[in-house]
Amino acid sequence: MIGYAIRRILYMIPILFGVTILTFTLFNVFGGDPARRYAGKHATEEQVQVIRAELGLDRSLPAQYVYFVKQIATFDYGRSWASKQLISTMITDGIGATLSLTAPAFAASTIFCILLALFSVYGRGTFFDRGIVVTCLGLMSISSLVYILALQYLLAFRGGMFPISGWDPSWAGRWEYLTLPWIIMFVLSLGPNILIFRTVIMDEAFQDYARTARAKGLAEKHVYAKHILKNAMIPIITVVVIEMPVLISGSVLIENFFGIPGLGGTMIKALNDSDFPVIKAFTVMSAVVYMLFNLLSDLLYSAVDPRVKLG
Amino acid sequence: MKIFEVWSGASQHTVKSAIKTTNKAFRPRGNTATFVQVLLAGAVAIAMAITGCTKKRFDANDNTLNIGIRANVKGLDPINANDMYSATVIAQIYEGLVEYNYLKRPFAVQPAMAEALPEISADGLTFTFKIKKGIKFHDNPAFPDGKGREVTANDFIYSWKRLADPRNTSEGWWILDGKIKGLNEWATAVKAEKADYDTPVEGLQAPDSHTLVVKLTGPYHQLMNVLTMPFAAAVPKEAVAKYGKEFLNNPVGSGPYMLKSDKDWVRNSKITLQKNPNYRPATYPTEGMPGDAEAGLLADAGKSLPFADKLVFTEIIEDQPRWQNGLKGNFDYFDIPKDNFDSTIKDGKLVPELQAKGIKLHIDPSLDVTYIGINMTDPMLGKNKALRQAMSMAFDRETQIKKFANGRGIPAQGPIPPGIAGYDDSYKNPHTQFSVEAAKAKLAEAGFPGGRSKDGKQLEFTYEGGSDSTARQQAEFFAQRMDAIGIKININANSWPQLQEKIKSKKAQLFGIAWGADYPDAQNFFQLFYSKNAPPGPNDSVFTNAEFDKLYERSLKLKDSAERTALYHQMRDIVANETPWIFISHRTGYRLTHGWLNNFKWTEVGYDYPKYWRVDAKKRAELGQKL
Repeated sequence: MIGYAIRRILYMIPILFGVTILTFTLFNVFGGDPARRYAGKHATEEQVQVIRAELGLDRSLPAQYVYFVKQIATFDYGRSWASKQLISTMITDGIGATLSLTAPAFAASTIFCILLALFSVYGRGTFFDRGIVVTCLGLMSISSLVYILALQYLLAFRGGMFPISGWDPSWAGRWEYLTLPWIIMFVLSLGPNILIFRTVIMDEAFQDYARTARAKGLAEKHVYAKHILKNAMIPIITVVVIEMPVLISGSVLIENFFGIPGLGGTMIKALNDSDFPVIKAFTVMSAVVYMLFNLLSDLLYSAVDPRVKLG
Repeated sequence: MKIFEVWSGASQHTVKSAIKTTNKAFRPRGNTATFVQVLLAGAVAIAMAITGCTKKRFDANDNTLNIGIRANVKGLDPINANDMYSATVIAQIYEGLVEYNYLKRPFAVQPAMAEALPEISADGLTFTFKIKKGIKFHDNPAFPDGKGREVTANDFIYSWKRLADPRNTSEGWWILDGKIKGLNEWATAVKAEKADYDTPVEGLQAPDSHTLVVKLTGPYHQLMNVLTMPFAAAVPKEAVAKYGKEFLNNPVGSGPYMLKSDKDWVRNSKITLQKNPNYRPATYPTEGMPGDAEAGLLADAGKSLPFADKLVFTEIIEDQPRWQNGLKGNFDYFDIPKDNFDSTIKDGKLVPELQAKGIKLHIDPSLDVTYIGINMTDPMLGKNKALRQAMSMAFDRETQIKKFANGRGIPAQGPIPPGIAGYDDSYKNPHTQFSVEAAKAKLAEAGFPGGRSKDGKQLEFTYEGGSDSTARQQAEFFAQRMDAIGIKININANSWPQLQEKIKSKKAQLFGIAWGADYPDAQNFFQLFYSKNAPPGPNDSVFTNAEFDKLYERSLKLKDSAERTALYHQMRDIVANETPWIFISHRTGYRLTHGWLNNFKWTEVGYDYPKYWRVDAKKRAELGQKL
């Protein structure tokens, strides 16, 4: 398995190469002219040229690309063009806030949804099961903006149960500000998660091994707990692990509405500002995280299912 | 300073419709809805148990001023104070030689760190500033004993060289670019590593520690205005040396407030500034404008500044949470989002429900102009004045202002907004009066009856606008208006850098944009038509008119006077006739303050206003209970 992991990590290099080419090309085609953007409204042509040189945009495209690759190799992304802040600091500043918003809601939602999906399949065809499916579809058909606006208005502004928005960098203080965003993230994830997990578990519930277990006289709850759930874990792990990188990119809307200084907002600002150094850093970071989690999900298969042989 | 912006400003989410949808969605529909409600109630109950629901309101002894801002503060280096939110925070920490009088209108410059307004030589080219003695920089480890040292004339020379230094790529360099003898040459030499900060500059001299002599290359009557901007503030070289590129996170100024610890700045969230205990002696103005005394604006006349012990700037990007925090009293003053305007203002007045809570409404004109720029290098648009005039006449400004700004604005007749010398209330631009019939006749005169050329081809242009929903709706509105006279408009939505690129490379045919005043002088607007300011300069329409240029150059040599105003009117008439812009509006700001905030007078230029604002903490504790 170690050999397999090493091989997969080596495969990441050409993929990352592709990502850099794509990012670089897209930025140069659609990014506008950052030098004019950062030279300001009163700039003369001479000043634009000075800014262009300072930003390194006066170099040839291949030279700029080589510089980009060098930055990836040295993990030194320099400073943001828009704010002149160190990108590494921007990431470390934002990642804690983003993870404390996304991780607890994700964990709670995953466990809750797997359990609910299990019960739903267990009672398939009943009123409870149908109710869950219909509710999930209902939940999914409402825009996330409606949940945010409505719950913030009703529970925080009108009800006064939570602060309307805000942030406390201390671990002890931030929970107060995070509770309502967690509830919203949790509610938002219910629909898609329950439906996916229910489908996955339903697939397993009628497999031969489940029938055999039942034929052996095993109680239904044991069939679910010991056999079906175990076998359903492979697709569930795939879904869960593939979703995990989203924990880092955060939720732009929730961050902006609740004043949470996370990475999602930082990325959107960088896109709006053509802040290429930040865009580069985030794109490469996201690509690496996605690939690592992909690898992790493959490795977990063999842990969950001994039949899966890697390599 | 305001960066120029697409008319619409930030995108808005329609809360009313969203909430309506929500109500619909959560209306009980048998067991499905019940299940959702049970889930939600459970989650809420758990959350309440975790957080507890009692939250103390306001402390009667807390002399903190709370301000909500709509963007993130990027950094706190004065030479990068290029967006109004960063500039607002920077202006509390740093100061310059001069500032605007808080109460006087039209805006008047008064000494800040300078002892008096400068002595100006007979030829108007030499300004001698005396700097007040005893002003200290904030205490900081950058200084040998940690104690802030005295501000001297050399600090200004150093700070302005820093602004000029090309390696610093400051967006504020334009305020002194080409204006001070030898400073541009110094900048070139520094870039070539042939000079350093010790190399003297002819136009910046300090004959003694508290005298600064500034020699100009030519008349520059806006010098005093630009020196009020944070770009020109004094920074200590010790701090720049100590913190290097991190100086933007370690501000050391001499202003009324200071950033005591890095922990007081939670990036992208909140900045807390403490009162500077060593702030120079400064007092609240003793004279104002007619009506100021009645409005209670002179109650604190002569009292020591600043009033608040602490300033908290909270950054909230979205309108709704900022609005809700404002209503709850978490901010002492706040704007009204577009979506909440109709429920807040009825017949130009604040609704009684909010008045009963002690909230007050302040209406002030913004020093800006929104417009559609026409690319004068375009072979069709640039060469056909009647065509441009017809397009301007076909545009319905009243409806535009009503639809997209809740009526917060007045139709623009020319580039000068109200509140600036040269604005004429009675002036009517013949080409901004909306009339489809007159526009059609003008279009026929232009050689395109019904919007078609002699060979029957329909006129077709491309409009470049912003990408947010309001900007797109405004673009559609413009296209509809042009369609009414037979002109087809294709719309392109752009990100801000894309729009900039198209405008500055002269690729945009028509573009929706706005200009906010850097300082209260019509020159700041007329420079947008000066041929030598063609892109990448600010003359985005590439308007070229020899007569206008001559008048503009003459006006630069004149101080604010009847003669200059007369020139401004002539320049306005040329622009109105040539129509390189389709003028749209001058916006009006509607702001709310709570009953406990005293001395609020909105200022469109200058960012040092918080030092004049006084919070009545006892009243806040009292009124806050009702919110």
